[in-house]
Amino acid sequence: MTELPVYVLERAFNAPRALVWRTWTEPDLLSKWYGPGVETVIHELDVQPGGQWLNEMRMGDSSGYQKSVFTEVVPPERLIMLMSTTNADWELAPNPMMPDWPATLLTVVTFEETDGVTQMRLEWSPHNASPAEIACFAGAVENLGKGWGAGMEMLAQILADLQA
Amino acid sequence: MNIDLATPSAPNLDAIFAALADPTRREILTRLAGGEATVNEIASPFEMSQPAISKHLKVLERAGLVTRAVDQQRRPAKLNAKPMREAVDWLEAFREFWLGSFDQLDGLLDQLKHEEKD
Repeated sequence: MTELPVYVLERAFNAPRALVWRTWTEPDLLSKWYGPGVETVIHELDVQPGGQWLNEMRMGDSSGYQKSVFTEVVPPERLIMLMSTTNADWELAPNPMMPDWPATLLTVVTFEETDGVTQMRLEWSPHNASPAEIACFAGAVENLGKGWGAGMEMLAQILADLQA
Repeated sequence: MNIDLATPSAPNLDAIFAALADPTRREILTRLAGGEATVNEIASPFEMSQPAISKHLKVLERAGLVTRAVDQQRRPAKLNAKPMREAVDWLEAFREFWLGSFDQLDGLLDQLKHEEKD
């Protein structure tokens, strides 16, 4: 069993951990920050193991749907969930534009507080993914993690040249 | 991002990244960025046989990065930038989504802290 690729984002927030926790677990707060430039509608948010978060993102006339199933809930330290893209009936549906992007991402969110500042860390890795999905995610993470790695720099240069 | 829903096959990121992982293939792409070229023309700066270059071109073709004319004897290869552009946009979009969300969360937390003080 090879190790799965993991993508990580971290951000420090100037707020106590208990408050940051509320922004993930209270629907009227979560809908205010999740999803930039879209109207976020939370159809269900049941933050407990086995509970789910049903999320709709409205962009003009169209909507994107996500279902997250919580697998571990340790207030106010850690949330683990399986995040999937779905259709309007909350059935798993791989993105038609990116069929090799993992349909379900295991998402681990951790909160650590030091002197009133909360460090929030998100980790994503493919869950129950096909080899193609894992390879796709690994390639993406490898290149994004370097903030445009060698391949991507080459690509950016080529695209710039083409547009010149 | 301008998404063309009529595109018959979405870009295969797996194939694209595999194709880009090889330095010779990146060189070939750079060469093709300057204009279409035949296998012979592509092979000349490399210490490599034409069949070896043809193999690399096949990998690039499968990834959708390169197209080759079917109706000409020379079969020049041409850079096809669209799938690359879409793949890059996709990777960036996920990151941008979350960073944008974090910015909104930052603002929300400031607001909540002030409300708690009142």
